[in-house]
Amino acid sequence: MSFLRGIDIAASGMTAQRLRMDVIANNLANAETTRTSKGGPYRRQMVIFEERKDANKSFQEALGRELKIGSGVRVKSIVEDSAPLRRVYDPSHPDADPEGYVNYPNVNVVEEMVDMIAATRSYEANVTVIGSIKNMTMKALDIGR
Amino acid sequence: MLTRIFDSTTLKGMEKALDGAALRQKVIANNIANVDTPNYKAVEVTFEDQLRRALEKEVTGGLGLKTTHPRHISVDEEGSTVFNMEPQIRTVKGTSYRNDKNNVDIDREMAKNSENELYYNAVIRALNDEFKLLRTAITGR
Repeated sequence: MSFLRGIDIAASGMTAQRLRMDVIANNLANAETTRTSKGGPYRRQMVIFEERKDANKSFQEALGRELKIGSGVRVKSIVEDSAPLRRVYDPSHPDADPEGYVNYPNVNVVEEMVDMIAATRSYEANVTVIGSIKNMTMKALDIGR
Repeated sequence: MLTRIFDSTTLKGMEKALDGAALRQKVIANNIANVDTPNYKAVEVTFEDQLRRALEKEVTGGLGLKTTHPRHISVDEEGSTVFNMEPQIRTVKGTSYRNDKNNVDIDREMAKNSENELYYNAVIRALNDEFKLLRTAITGR
């Protein structure tokens, strides 16, 4: 199904942006979390996108020009942001250090909201592409009618 | 007889145009899917110029010298005919749109997406009209 591969490519973009959105939601939900299973406060997570290269492509595709155009995007890994934690003076907090400071996650809520809008727009762009491909394929089915 | 109807330059040219537009659509989908991928470089498909040159050559006979022997020197600037032309796939190198070295311009890609869709539909309409002509010639109504 060579033509429908375009839909597959756009769908990979949607999957990647949705995962990015999940990570953003997790960052926002944990913006004030001071305890995690591995100790210490929560650290902001980021997704790393990379170009997807199809491993299981057919022999013909590997020989022909299909090889050159790539096949979408994938999330390579989710990494933790190593930026310094936010230190807030709050001696009454149970997780405060001897000087009375609490280490809060390095999550910047404004930054996450901006990322969220960017992910939404990228997702919509991929949806539009799927619409176009669907329209083109429907037209192609009408050839000679 | 049938080969002369179905292997005509017109039909073949439109077929090549549809193939090119379909390939371009995949490339645009890939560019848009990779809009947030660091170091990704946009890819472009061009075929209209080659197709036009090939069609012109078909109509005018071309300006190149006729060769009647394999060892004659050909002066065709390009050997491609309507029947064997292939779309060109090119990676846009040397530019960066953002700090992450990605050079996909999302506005341009979305515009190309709509344009390509319209182009594809226009070629299909022309193809249908061509078939309608053939049908008229065959059935006489």
